[in-house]
Amino acid sequence: MADQNKPDTERKLFNEILSPSELFAARSRSHKIPIRGQKDFFPNDSDEQRQRLEQSLNEHWSLISEERVERLGNLVKAIWIPSDQIVELQSPAGKFWQTMGFSANGKQYVLPEEALYLMECGNLQVFYKDLPLSIQDGFERFLSSTTVSLQQYQVFGHLKRLGYVVHRFDPSCEPSSYARQLNLPQSRDRAGRQLKRKRSPSPTPTCSYTKLKEEPTSEKMEEDKCCLEGEEDKKLAASPETTDVQTATTSAADEGSGRTWWTTDVLGDSDKELHYSSTSRSSRWDFSSIPFPDLGSSERRPSCLAPPEPSLLPGDVTVGVCDVASWRKKINLRKVKMSAKEKSREKSNSRRRWSVNKDKEVRRCRNWAEYHELLARRQRRGKGRPAHLWNREVTPLHDPRQPIPTAELLDKISVIKSTHLLEGASRLKGSDEWRICFNVYQPDTVADFKKSNPGKPYSRMCVCSFDGPVPDLRVLKLLAFQSGDVPVVFAVVDHGDISFYTFKDFQLPTDVFP
Amino acid sequence: MATESVEKTSEDVPVAGKVSTRYDLEKETELRFEVEAGEAAEQLELELLTGMAEVFGSELNRNKKYTFGPGSKIAVFTWQGCSVNLYGKPEVAYVSKDTPMLLYLNTHAALEQMRKQAERDNERGPRVMVVGPTDVGKSTVCRLLLSYAVRVGRRPTLVELDVGQSGVSVPGTVSALCIERPADVEEGFSVQAPLVYHFGSTTPGTNIKLYNKLTSCLAEVFSQRCEVNRKASVGGCIINTCGWVKGSGYQALVHCASTFQVDVVLVLDHERLYNELKRDLPHFVRVVLLPKSGGVVERSKECRRDARDEKIREYFYGFRGVSFYPFSFEVRFSDVRIYKIGAPSIPDSCLPLGMSQDDTQLKLVPVTPGRDLTYHVLSVSSAEDGEEGARKGIVESPVCGFIVVTYVDTQAQVMKILSPAPRPLPRHTLLIMDIRFMDMK
Repeated sequence: MADQNKPDTERKLFNEILSPSELFAARSRSHKIPIRGQKDFFPNDSDEQRQRLEQSLNEHWSLISEERVERLGNLVKAIWIPSDQIVELQSPAGKFWQTMGFSANGKQYVLPEEALYLMECGNLQVFYKDLPLSIQDGFERFLSSTTVSLQQYQVFGHLKRLGYVVHRFDPSCEPSSYARQLNLPQSRDRAGRQLKRKRSPSPTPTCSYTKLKEEPTSEKMEEDKCCLEGEEDKKLAASPETTDVQTATTSAADEGSGRTWWTTDVLGDSDKELHYSSTSRSSRWDFSSIPFPDLGSSERRPSCLAPPEPSLLPGDVTVGVCDVASWRKKINLRKVKMSAKEKSREKSNSRRRWSVNKDKEVRRCRNWAEYHELLARRQRRGKGRPAHLWNREVTPLHDPRQPIPTAELLDKISVIKSTHLLEGASRLKGSDEWRICFNVYQPDTVADFKKSNPGKPYSRMCVCSFDGPVPDLRVLKLLAFQSGDVPVVFAVVDHGDISFYTFKDFQLPTDVFP
Repeated sequence: MATESVEKTSEDVPVAGKVSTRYDLEKETELRFEVEAGEAAEQLELELLTGMAEVFGSELNRNKKYTFGPGSKIAVFTWQGCSVNLYGKPEVAYVSKDTPMLLYLNTHAALEQMRKQAERDNERGPRVMVVGPTDVGKSTVCRLLLSYAVRVGRRPTLVELDVGQSGVSVPGTVSALCIERPADVEEGFSVQAPLVYHFGSTTPGTNIKLYNKLTSCLAEVFSQRCEVNRKASVGGCIINTCGWVKGSGYQALVHCASTFQVDVVLVLDHERLYNELKRDLPHFVRVVLLPKSGGVVERSKECRRDARDEKIREYFYGFRGVSFYPFSFEVRFSDVRIYKIGAPSIPDSCLPLGMSQDDTQLKLVPVTPGRDLTYHVLSVSSAEDGEEGARKGIVESPVCGFIVVTYVDTQAQVMKILSPAPRPLPRHTLLIMDIRFMDMK
């Protein structure tokens, strides 16, 4: 910075000792950034606003172009190692060491974003090729796609200034969901040693929007399908009929006919009947060829039965014809004794009731299974529920005559089922565009904070730009799953302003006490 | 019933102090005789001398003496003609030409034809229900058809729904028995591993709901067996029913036909029942009217009670009370739980809203052991001895055995029981029957 008064800086560089008056002036200067409201930027094409904005901009410029005066003793010396994208401390670290930096091979290092923040705070002086770097140099050199982006640094700095402890997020250090289930104690390697060799991947900027646009949608569809499949499984368990419909529709969809969703149900029904008839043929037994000596229905039958086939008879029994007619006279010799009450009941019964076989539908039944089905169907129909609602393909969600608990009913009629954020997340593949950048720890834990054992973070930051796309459900699920039980916060950077958003799982309240 | 053609060739040779009578039977005739009932009555012996003859479908061995105890009512039928010897003095003995055996044999032939078809088409065999009023020979027809079926190599199942006069187990139960050999001429079918359910009373009318439920249970178990056992499936089943054919009894018959999915209904000597069943059963069920045999004797109430007692005695002491030796031991009240199925009915006005009377009929009511428990027959349910949760399955659980309470000591809180097996009881859930048995003999 301070480019415009270059001779001045040069002079300062060689002559770093300030006179008391200069020092006093530097200390008593106001460091406050002029406050500006959001509305100040809303364009209204007035001269007044333009002037005001210009003035604000000038104030800003003058503030940041200002020389920083620091005590030499407070500055920690460090050198920038561009090959490793890291800053090595040359002199003993200050108080910041408690929350920042790491040591490896007996040397102390800070990450570029930490170095930059410390430079801004006036705690660190970074040399490169034996020359000190200005803060502007720091921004240019330290922030890159391999370290952290500007937006990420903005979030980092913002949080640091608020007092939070911010570390890079390393997904490999995260316990797997299985380990989480087991509640394993978190064993964390000394961060430094690990970082030296394979440093955690630096968060990449979230600016490749073009690619992002198609991929998540397709994958989202996949995921939706997954959900559907899950649903189908459930239905499969629930009732075979619905699955029938399901398969019918899918096969219809294969044929490519469009509006088969509603017609297939009917088709399936008729199919079923066809199926039945094919398995059971007409009737299982053809009683016209099985000669029972039936005395009742004798009028249509010959009065004599032919002798049965010897192979059907036990032992060496051989018999001749059987005269049925002579037995007919001897049937029912005993009188049926009935009381008067029984007689009257019998009478009314016989008037009211007719043969079940007069019914065409019963005649069409070929075995007990079909007959039972018919009876069940009739019973269902006969209970007087409105036919116009139940006869079509789309039926009401619940039959009001089947009492179920209210909670169950509410569950049954809820067309959109509530879902859990982590549902199905374990099956998702990782995405490159979205990743968690930082672990954030509460400011009040700083006093006993240990870098070697930072504990569970307060939250995790995912940095995204205001210009970029809004994270979709898939990303939410993925990041939430990756983060486990730590909430993921989306830090949305709108140039200088940072706003934080988070998505929380909650359950819709049900006012039912089962 | 015509009792002509008695060719009594009186040889009257006294064998072991008994009078011997020889009967020569023509082709397709039968000798009917009854043994005097009562304690002092002497047994009767039967011997086949020449030819071939059968008793209710079981063939007689030549020159073997069959013994029949007091109260027996026997018919010896011959297809080809034979001569038999009776030793002893029967109450009544005559030869009849007039038997419906030919009709029954034709029925068997038709059923066998169905079994053959079932075997060929890999289907299930005929399920036959035998219905009719009391004393028309339902059990005999069942025995006949089963014996014939076994003799041609089938494995039919006897389903005994007659709770009054069970041919398989003690009265007050419904049961199913797989038949593997013809009935013994003297003892009937050998009862090995029958499936028995507790009903608790000698008439289905006391708890028709439970009766229908048990029928469904049996039907389900039988269907399961048919699925795993091809031979049993082809053999089909023959269902013996109660003689109650009016009102709820009739409804129970229709329910039974429906749950067992019967193919053939044999109506014995009841034309009205025949017409009703034709009306109420779907057309694919063949309803056949058959005459009863003239030899069927009407049994009195006392006779039925004696038969029941005899059946229970047979359970504990074996056939003719000589082959088994039951145990008698004491059981503490606290070790067993005694239930009765079916709560007494309550007026509808006293029921909770939405409860129907039917619900109480299948309910288990705990019975407090007391002196009135004496002489009651108890079923030992095979339901696991669980806590309250297990109580649900008790009604539908088969019975593993029966015990009789012989003495109750309310002071010591123990009861003395007669049990076919030594202590301890296999299960501790007991179901009480209305039936009592006094171990007098």
